[in-house]
Amino acid sequence: MSIVAHLPRRVLSLTEEEAASPPVMELTGRRRATSEERTVAETIYAEFRADPRHREFVLGCLNCGECTTGCPAARFYDFSPREMLQIAQNGDATTLWDAMQEKIWACCQCYTCNMRCRFGNDIAGIISVMRELSVIHGLESTRKVLAPFGRSLTLLMTVGTQVSSDMIQPDFFRDWGPFATGSDKVWDVGTDVMRRAIPSDVLHTTRSSWEVSVQTSLELFRIYEETGVLDMLRGLDPDLTEMLVDIIEERREEFEEARDRFRTELAGMHGPVATFMG
Amino acid sequence: MNPILVLGGGPAGLSAAAELAALGAEALLVEREAYLGGNPKRWHYSLLAPDLRPAEEILGPLLGRVEGSPKVERRLSTTLTKSERLEKGFRVTLKTADTVETREVSAVVLATGFDHFDSRRKFEYGYGRYPDVIDFKELEGMIHDDKVVRPSDGRAPKRIAWILCVGSRDIQVGNPWCCRLGCVVSIKQAVEIRQKHPEIDAWVYYMDIRTYGLWEDLYWKSMQEYGVKFIRGRIGQVTLAEGGAQLLATGEDTILSRPTEVPFDMIVLASGMEPGTGTKEAAGLFGLPVGPEGFLTPRLSDMNPVDSGSPGVYFAGAATGPKAIPDAVTEGMGAALRAFQYARE
Repeated sequence: MSIVAHLPRRVLSLTEEEAASPPVMELTGRRRATSEERTVAETIYAEFRADPRHREFVLGCLNCGECTTGCPAARFYDFSPREMLQIAQNGDATTLWDAMQEKIWACCQCYTCNMRCRFGNDIAGIISVMRELSVIHGLESTRKVLAPFGRSLTLLMTVGTQVSSDMIQPDFFRDWGPFATGSDKVWDVGTDVMRRAIPSDVLHTTRSSWEVSVQTSLELFRIYEETGVLDMLRGLDPDLTEMLVDIIEERREEFEEARDRFRTELAGMHGPVATFMG
Repeated sequence: MNPILVLGGGPAGLSAAAELAALGAEALLVEREAYLGGNPKRWHYSLLAPDLRPAEEILGPLLGRVEGSPKVERRLSTTLTKSERLEKGFRVTLKTADTVETREVSAVVLATGFDHFDSRRKFEYGYGRYPDVIDFKELEGMIHDDKVVRPSDGRAPKRIAWILCVGSRDIQVGNPWCCRLGCVVSIKQAVEIRQKHPEIDAWVYYMDIRTYGLWEDLYWKSMQEYGVKFIRGRIGQVTLAEGGAQLLATGEDTILSRPTEVPFDMIVLASGMEPGTGTKEAAGLFGLPVGPEGFLTPRLSDMNPVDSGSPGVYFAGAATGPKAIPDAVTEGMGAALRAFQYARE
């Protein structure tokens, strides 16, 4: 599936209204922002720079490009973690605004850039801060970008994951998986042998990540509720949010029913028992 | 006056010993290895920057001054295992494979030098895994013997890449400092190879080129006269290319902002400098502080880079940080002079 097809294309021509009024914000060689956009952009910029995570995640950059080297998204899109870090470090309200329109959504949050970074930056982290702000401010572009991902969001909100390692294209991870065998040897053995050394309880995660217990799912959703994630999502997509609430409500009822049945059965066998499940 | 101990027989130590002899003092030159000349000798350095003169031409006269002087007592394959401060100078214990000896010295020059970074620690470059990924100190020997061939099949390479800052400027391996020499030595190697074998394509992957001072000339010439190619961006991983005969270097061309993937016949890693084993040991033996990087720290690195701050102990060369041979030689002279002054007082 090509994600790039879903990314909104930038409108390069000006509307009559925009052309009539003098440019509020110069996006050199790019689209000019309206005054409303400019206000939001500057608010976002101020919040972004004031976020305590900014100082923690963005340390400095030697522009070596090793982050981009390992980046799966850079393979497909006009996206580079190095550019994102540069914008986070040196960019102004305009460049930040521009990057937040679509580029930040190309990142797959695999954190390979962090692993590669010789300066110790948290690049994937700072991108997620940008994403957070774009959702909090309900950017129109964010709405459009996220619209086709209702299924992923649903999984993420109800199960907690939406991708597993066996879904990743092996061509671009030459040292991974069965494709790494043959000419590419790690030390004296092929990577297939190395993979057999991975503890089975780790490999097990590939399967078990889809088998989430009802209780875990409910706890996860409770966290989303308590931390305000659900409210963020509601601002962006109220319909999807209502649907999620319905799904979880249903599960909660099922869970409570099962719990009561379990208690009754236990009581029947052993007499009254202390409640240990909520 | 007791002799002055010079610990380490590389360029800095040789320079100090030779200068002490010239001052009329006796020098006790102790070297761990069985030969004098330090890393340049050990790895058969070829031409030395900035003048592109053979290493022998520079080390030769220094060695001559030391070996030809009755004032310099040379102790090879010997290590220092103990030191005890006396009212003036030190009592030190020298150990060889089968002897242990105690000597009194009036002052100490620590010229304990550096070790090259072990490139295997940057595992993504495949050094030690792919035979055609070599360290630039190994290429020095190849150029010196005019045998630049792929270790895997003995064939001449058509295209070589240099990766700069391997084990330098990298907190992942705990070495945030610049090695100062990786740039100039790599460029010099590319020039040497292009001089002898213009059919070999030379690419240098860099973050910044630090051919500081007058060395900049070599950088310019390498492009203008020898056609060496410079790509800004570092290789993030090396794998085997299709078929397994070539290496595939993957990185980002950060000037053009696009991913790059180029097959090479040979990849050369410009490994950095780390505090030498002897430097770490000497710090312990003489109770000297080391910086966060592990190098010895002069008390006033700007005012007097050869003074340790501990009476009678002086520094020379790469023991205090990455250094080029001319700087090491100069510091050897400075340390010899300061040690001589102290010993005579």
